[in-house]
Amino acid sequence: MSKPVVKLLLTLSLLCIIPSFLFALTGEEVIQKMDEMATFETSVSTGSIKTTDRFGTKISTFKAWARGTSDSLIEFTSTAERGQKILRTQSSLYLFYPDAEELIRLQGAALRQSVLGSDLSYEDMTEEKNTLDSYTVVLEGSETVNGYDCHVLTLTAKKRTVAYPVQKIWVDKQTYLVWKAEYSTAQKRLLKVMKVLSTVEVAGRTLPSETKIEDKMKRDSATWMTLDSLEVNVPLAANLFSLENLTW
Amino acid sequence: MVGKRTLLLLLVLAFLFTPLLAAIVPVVDMSLLGGLSYKPSTETVHQGMGMDLKISLPSPNSGNVRGEVVLKASYPDTSPTLNDIIHKAYLRARFPSFRLTAGKTRLSWGDGMLFNAGDVLYGSSSTSVSLTQAELRDKTDWMAALNYPLGFFSFFEAVLIPSTTTRVEDVGFGLRFYTNVGETKVEAGYATTDAGERKHKPYVSLQGNIGADWYLSSSVALDHAFSTDASSFLISGGLFHSFYFSGDRTLALRLEFLSRPLGSWAFKGQEDATCTLLLYPELVYTPTSSLSLSLRTILSPLDLSMNTTVGAVWSVFEGFSLVGSLSAPFGQSSDLFNWEGDQMIALGIGASWIY
Repeated sequence: MSKPVVKLLLTLSLLCIIPSFLFALTGEEVIQKMDEMATFETSVSTGSIKTTDRFGTKISTFKAWARGTSDSLIEFTSTAERGQKILRTQSSLYLFYPDAEELIRLQGAALRQSVLGSDLSYEDMTEEKNTLDSYTVVLEGSETVNGYDCHVLTLTAKKRTVAYPVQKIWVDKQTYLVWKAEYSTAQKRLLKVMKVLSTVEVAGRTLPSETKIEDKMKRDSATWMTLDSLEVNVPLAANLFSLENLTW
Repeated sequence: MVGKRTLLLLLVLAFLFTPLLAAIVPVVDMSLLGGLSYKPSTETVHQGMGMDLKISLPSPNSGNVRGEVVLKASYPDTSPTLNDIIHKAYLRARFPSFRLTAGKTRLSWGDGMLFNAGDVLYGSSSTSVSLTQAELRDKTDWMAALNYPLGFFSFFEAVLIPSTTTRVEDVGFGLRFYTNVGETKVEAGYATTDAGERKHKPYVSLQGNIGADWYLSSSVALDHAFSTDASSFLISGGLFHSFYFSGDRTLALRLEFLSRPLGSWAFKGQEDATCTLLLYPELVYTPTSSLSLSLRTILSPLDLSMNTTVGAVWSVFEGFSLVGSLSAPFGQSSDLFNWEGDQMIALGIGASWIY
């Protein structure tokens, strides 16, 4: 091969490779984009939690409000638990039981309690979307999930207060949707697997509309979380995320 | 017969509300329990079946006014009154800067599952409680309450408790302030009621986390001369922690205490109203999300007597659970818990359904 041709090929190769280095995202940037895409100024949604075991199916319905990365309020609307509410703010999680008119503040290990016997914990339901505050990130590579090209990342907890010490997540390179997640103990023992079954487009972003969570420590048990409606960037009352509203 | 009349009255009241049912969705909570009991004092065995029925009629969940009517009846019940049947009947109105609640309902002041010295409105110090219930304390009363928010996580509450004798001087009232100081919840208040004799009851209640959740409450009941007797100064507290194991198994431990520190600390027989120290250890093991096994004990350390209940709840289907329990007192004749008088060993098996 003549020298000019080699030079040309080298130059072309460099031109192809350099941009990929210049524009490749780090793991932290992928997580930041992921959190940004999942966070709205405000949102109002309705949905259901469906739990199955060998005795059948239990369905709980809810209405949820969220503001920014850390404020959320969930009110259950199904018969057995109607009026029960969960309020999550940056520093605290409160439960309200209307039958006993009781306001309970949850801290520590109690955050990991199962919500209504599902495979979701209070922490799962109201998780803050500041992932980098709680986890260090390693970008492992790329894989295809459900036909979508995804970043594969491993998240390791910085603090003991998080629900899952290790998470492996598959983040869509185009939409930054988490298509799949594996939640493990610090010893890498698999606890739960989350998969997105369907999505919805809201305000130009792709969000999960149906999610399946399987508890790998239990046989014949799974939880489906479905969003029936979702409105974003809607005006919310200033006192929505307050004890006054929680006990209303 | 009286129990049947109660049920009939409940059905009639529910029927009267039927026109409202088009707009609201009633919730029925039905518990059936078959029981076998043995009374050691008379060496007799009794068998029976009972039912607790609760019908809740909540208002639609919108607007600035809402309310709820909850009718409750038990079979067999020897002397139910209309006041017993109306468990809750209240309306609540939200004004721009405060909230008003009027009717029959409950206010939960202080902290504690069984023992709560901060519960100066209803009292949570008695040991006469069924440890098989999910809610150990659920007393309601007629009141008018005003809740005034002081920021998002603090509020001031005032309550007026109407006189039961129609005499104005028997009216009760109370005040409460609730806030967070750092990671600790701080609650302080005062209530005065007149049940034969006017009592003034200030209290303070704290709650936080030191790895385990902790709570501490204290109150005192003062008479018109602002003096007190040894049994009126109460301190209660508790620790709660959950342990999580593989397979989503959970073990929840709770240890509460109630003390009347000015009482006699001598090792001798105790009485419910003056007992110097009581402990309430509770252990709840949840092997699966639908099954829970519990061991609950009220322990009187100064006479070494106790009342223990072993229970199981299996949430089989949506809203439907099977329940079972075995409870027994242990102690000598002069002790708080003993095999004399009306105390008995009881086995109960039943089902509850919410629809």
